[in-house]
Amino acid sequence: MVSVQDKRIQYGIPAILALALAVPVLTDSMFIVNLLVLMLISIIFASAWNLLAYSGQGSLGHAAFLGIGAYASTVIAAKSGLSPLLTIFLGAAVAAFIGILIGLTCVRLKEWFLAMVTFGFAIIVQTLTVSVLAPLSGGWDGIPSPRLFSASLPGYQLIEYYFILFITLATLGAIWYIMKSRIGLAFLAIRENELEARAAGIDPVRYRLLAFALSAYLAGVAGALQIHHIGYLTPELFGTENSFWPVTFVILGGLGTLAGPVVGTVVLTVIWEGLKATGMTFGRYVIVGVILILAIIFLPQGLVSLPEKIREWLKRRQKEPVPGTAGKQPGS
Amino acid sequence: MDEFSVILQIIFWGLYAGCIYILLATGLNLIFGVMKVVNFAHGEFLMIGAYITATVFFLTGANPYLIIVLSMLALIGIGAVVERLCFRPILGTGKLNEIFLSIGLIYIIQNGAAMIWGDAWQSIKSPYSGITVPIGPLAVPLDYVIIMVMTAVILCGLYVFLKKTTIGMQMQATSQNRKGAMLVGIDVERIDVISFGLGCALAAAAGTLWVVSGQVFNPYMGSIPAIKAFAIIILGGLGSIPGAIIGGLLMGLAENGAAYFLGGIWKDAISFVILIIVLVIRPTGLFGEKGE
Repeated sequence: MVSVQDKRIQYGIPAILALALAVPVLTDSMFIVNLLVLMLISIIFASAWNLLAYSGQGSLGHAAFLGIGAYASTVIAAKSGLSPLLTIFLGAAVAAFIGILIGLTCVRLKEWFLAMVTFGFAIIVQTLTVSVLAPLSGGWDGIPSPRLFSASLPGYQLIEYYFILFITLATLGAIWYIMKSRIGLAFLAIRENELEARAAGIDPVRYRLLAFALSAYLAGVAGALQIHHIGYLTPELFGTENSFWPVTFVILGGLGTLAGPVVGTVVLTVIWEGLKATGMTFGRYVIVGVILILAIIFLPQGLVSLPEKIREWLKRRQKEPVPGTAGKQPGS
Repeated sequence: MDEFSVILQIIFWGLYAGCIYILLATGLNLIFGVMKVVNFAHGEFLMIGAYITATVFFLTGANPYLIIVLSMLALIGIGAVVERLCFRPILGTGKLNEIFLSIGLIYIIQNGAAMIWGDAWQSIKSPYSGITVPIGPLAVPLDYVIIMVMTAVILCGLYVFLKKTTIGMQMQATSQNRKGAMLVGIDVERIDVISFGLGCALAAAAGTLWVVSGQVFNPYMGSIPAIKAFAIIILGGLGSIPGAIIGGLLMGLAENGAAYFLGGIWKDAISFVILIIVLVIRPTGLFGEKGE
């Protein structure tokens, strides 16, 4: 199977890259470019969540880091006058710092506790944003956020698209590198068996915190990018919906794989926008929920495992013809 | 009002709020105890219970306190279907899977409810609203007294069910040792369905008491009480029903105390503060068993 996979990577990645680079040239529609930008940001966000899940920690409150990155970047840009191109990384650093704090309370916890704490955490951050931090955050009304590139720049939307595409690729590259490195191995070891990992000299607490920091950082970048792209920021960014999207994307695509978040995000975004075109409102979420549950039950390795699955199924069919029909259909 | 009656008032409000949390957290714990599954969509069953009660009330005008029976029965059925279709196929395939599955359920149930009932905030008026009972220096709404009594009755009923009936004892056995229970001939899958249904029925009871007390509800109402229920079961220990009761009361008291002394915005945030303090001091909860 390795050779098939290698071939898929060898041709697949350049093909997708070429498509991603060419899309804005192929279409004049700013609607589609805008959609692609949001999709790329979702890919960063989903990949960030996936990295944390890779270390065995399932967060249900990643909207917290998305929102913290966005707010921190906006506030820093507004107070210091720095360009958003710079502050997205500073805002993300704030998210990473908060991520470490949350990680510290969670590292020793079992899966359920971790999910509960993170789930609650996003709500609490939202509460604090609209209450204690209202003078900075503008409360429920929100605050305007400076654009990544000035709208007076000719073709700024395309520049923005390529900039975000670059960040997305850099993120995926970094995650690929982390997964292949000793750090990634340590994450895997902790996820599979903490006791054995400890016996092998891996400090689970340190690596869990590292996973939290990295994941929160990338989620913060995604949040800052999204908000500087849209140009306005409200506390709805902290909503549970934003915590659940990356989970849905990653589960559908394939948990713990590099391509999973990308595939899941692209497929679900297409489905989502398709359903939107039919005028559905609540029904869309119901369909997404059904897709998620079906994927968990019937395709636990996600869409990335689908080609293997189909190939195996075909092979099995070739080897074991259905009894009774074997004589009639030789070599089917 | 003097200091004493203010404190008394806070305690009373705390107990009333605690009742709803206790029912929700007990249901979660019941399901966890038997199936070792944390149902993150538990708040959604509270919401369905609330809507069933409200809908029947709007249609028939019957006493909403009586509709609680109907609502609980309906949720036993819905819970059993959800367990059979969603949780059973993935039981034992990893705890993260169960958590992610709950997210799918949240999507489906919240938005399904929004399709049926719309997403506007609604409320109903209890037939006893406006009637107050003097307790010491306080005049407390009759509804709150009824809610406390009903919670006590439901919990006593649950206690008797678990201790005296065959199914209840089978549930306890399954919760203590699943393999052992199988060996002595208990159909653990049937027990799973029953526990999940009962847990959902308790959530429906919580939802009914929520709407009857005049609080507003909409399809997305379930998340906040569910988070508090999580905090309670962490506080009281995963799987411990006495822990859920004490934790629920403490949570109700802390919440109302915080709202009074620190300001209304802390009402929801305090549960999280408590949660973090407890987790830092005692990661298994106050009354929790160690590990699995």
